[in-house]
Amino acid sequence: MQKNLRLLAVLAAFTFVSCVSDSNDEPIIDEPATYEFTRDGQSTVSFTGQTARIQMGIELFSAMSDFENTTEELLLQMYRNQTEDGGDADPFSKEELNNETKNIKGKVAASTDYFSSNTTASSEIKNQFEEWLSAQVNEVFPNQNTLAEPGVAGQIADGSSTRYVNAQGLEYNQLVAKSLIGALTADQMLNNYLSVSVLDAGTNRGDNTDGVPAEGSIYTNMEHKWDEAYGYLFGTAANKANPVPTIGDDDIFLNKYLGSVNGDEDFTGITERVFNAFKLGRAAIVAGDYELRDEQAQIIRREISKVIGIRAVYYLQSGKNAIDQEAPNYGSAFHDLSEGYGFIYSLQFTRMPGTDAPYFTKSEVDEFLSQLLGDGSNGLWDVTPETLDTITNDIVEGFDFTLEEVVN
Amino acid sequence: MKKTALLLLLFLLIWSCSDDNPSGPDADDFDREAILLNWADNIIIPAFQSFSTTTDELETAGNSFAEDPNQQTLENLREVWRTCYLSWQRVSMFEMGRAMDIDLRGNLNTYPVSANESSPNPDQTIQKNIQTGSYNLELPSLRDTQGFPALDYLLNGLADSDADILGYYTTHEEATVYKKYVTDLVNRMNELAEEVLDHWESGYRDQFVSNSGNGANASLDMMVNDYIFYYEKALRAGKVGIPAGVFSGTPLATHVEAYYSDGFSKELLMEALNAAQNFFNGKHFGSQQTGESLASYLDYLNTMKGGADLTQLINNQFESARDQAENLNSNFVVQIETENSEMLATYDELQKNVVYLKVDMLQALNINVDYVDADGD
Repeated sequence: MQKNLRLLAVLAAFTFVSCVSDSNDEPIIDEPATYEFTRDGQSTVSFTGQTARIQMGIELFSAMSDFENTTEELLLQMYRNQTEDGGDADPFSKEELNNETKNIKGKVAASTDYFSSNTTASSEIKNQFEEWLSAQVNEVFPNQNTLAEPGVAGQIADGSSTRYVNAQGLEYNQLVAKSLIGALTADQMLNNYLSVSVLDAGTNRGDNTDGVPAEGSIYTNMEHKWDEAYGYLFGTAANKANPVPTIGDDDIFLNKYLGSVNGDEDFTGITERVFNAFKLGRAAIVAGDYELRDEQAQIIRREISKVIGIRAVYYLQSGKNAIDQEAPNYGSAFHDLSEGYGFIYSLQFTRMPGTDAPYFTKSEVDEFLSQLLGDGSNGLWDVTPETLDTITNDIVEGFDFTLEEVVN
Repeated sequence: MKKTALLLLLFLLIWSCSDDNPSGPDADDFDREAILLNWADNIIIPAFQSFSTTTDELETAGNSFAEDPNQQTLENLREVWRTCYLSWQRVSMFEMGRAMDIDLRGNLNTYPVSANESSPNPDQTIQKNIQTGSYNLELPSLRDTQGFPALDYLLNGLADSDADILGYYTTHEEATVYKKYVTDLVNRMNELAEEVLDHWESGYRDQFVSNSGNGANASLDMMVNDYIFYYEKALRAGKVGIPAGVFSGTPLATHVEAYYSDGFSKELLMEALNAAQNFFNGKHFGSQQTGESLASYLDYLNTMKGGADLTQLINNQFESARDQAENLNSNFVVQIETENSEMLATYDELQKNVVYLKVDMLQALNINVDYVDADGD
């Protein structure tokens, strides 16, 4: 009941706002039904580099569990798409990925807004991933056939699955995959390609208004930047122009977890909100309506940040439930908390709408993570339900969703 | 318009509240401890005692076979294995307490077995374990290289003829390791079965019975969840749905329980179905007598669904599933390869009881489902 009243109030507010903001001199927005935009009959939409990086990430994740064939060198090459001394490397199974000059590492913690003048943090984060990749091979691989126990890396059962954890109970492959959601996809999207600093860089605005394409291209620079943001979410969609129906199925990163959140009835509709904001914002660029464009960017920032917050809380609570019983289910808890670790890590790349700041800063994130591993000397083996609740509550407080909405 | 909708909602809310039957029996008033007592003393512990006896016989037969592999010891081991596998169907659903801690079902009955390099999990197979001669059966990653399905492969699947199978244990260059693998398997199975039984008999029974409240950590809530999880995942999906291709779209005959045995899969399903229904009705192990149960609890609450008695609906549905399953070939591999639609029809009948048990029964008993399908990563 309360919810309905709130909904009505919100609806009323929107009606009101849309009434007053109507005026006659605004550009006409031609918003298509799907994410398709053309100039002179040719598509102006392009985000191949984002598609490639997502595919590289998927191969990297899967290689981390290939005990038979994977080496430390291979994982680092997949992350850099280069050899150690900067030469050309062919670490991927897909030929087109080997031919790419692009790589994951260069775009990790690399947004204009957050990292262009903070290369210290950028480099620290980039290297963090390399440490996890190396540790997977150096700590976990040698213990493939060892039972994990406090202080000892090895394997542990999680239902019918077998998980491979380090001495602290952490799964490095989950740390990498879930942290890339923030450090690569969200950071590039929210703090780079959707940012005024990037969209309006150089002569972009004038060029876009005048319909001057980027050199050798059919699209304007601004159009392309916006599309690149889109590509980090929908770059591997089955239907890239209409990705909503398959949300959650198209990658193991942001797309997957936007789908998970959308599947919770408390958040249903979030996929459409994000997709429509991308589509309307792109149409606004075509029409030269930069105010409308920036409004859409704020919607995307809010919703994508929320996805990361929701999943962090979700996994902390799943992990808590697995531990908080007479015979703790460590395998299940470690898997959840490793995913949670990555989502918490990703919080530092979120973006609070209307500000230049994340919902949680790097130092706040570091503090959460040290709490998570700090209840004893063996990390997740020692973590208490109370600690998990404390971190949960701190995260929930920073967002506009409730714990109830996430866990029910 | 919105106002009307709101008023309507308000009306519905009030109406639905006043429609609650305040004079009917409350799920929380029932003597739950009586059910727990009947379960522990008349069903679960006797079933584990019986099972443990058969694993003990299995260990003996396995060791006799390894000492002197011949046609007679092979046939004897197969016979005992079948008896033991049937007995397992009567305890598999009780995956709580120590059974849960040690993942009894995962260790004893994960199938399809990972036999050799053409198996779904080619990195860790029985053949590889035997080749290297070093394996730790306690590792979760080796669950599909042990238990009943592994013995099925080793006793029935190594070759087409008995003479050739015996060759692996007599003339094969790795014959010693083959024999050792069999004894390692049967010793471990018996050890795990004994561990669970000991735990029930040395204190867990009292703890189980006295934890008679309601709520997620109460014995009844946990047992009922384990029971429905078993019915849904291990019985409905594992024995029928997965091999029939319900989840993959394509039938997977290799995923049949006891794949290497000729005509045993149906018997295992029937045994499991009987055990599941008997548990629902509180029927004592090895007897026709019944005691307090989910059925009597539902009866106490006068639980109806669409004008029909829910206990009756559930029992009828067990019968329908059994009737449909009777049509199946005794060997599910043959059934799947000749007329899979009968397997699918069996799945459909089994599925109907998932709804009665998991939705209608749990609602009536005021029990929450404590498991969700994993998100697959």
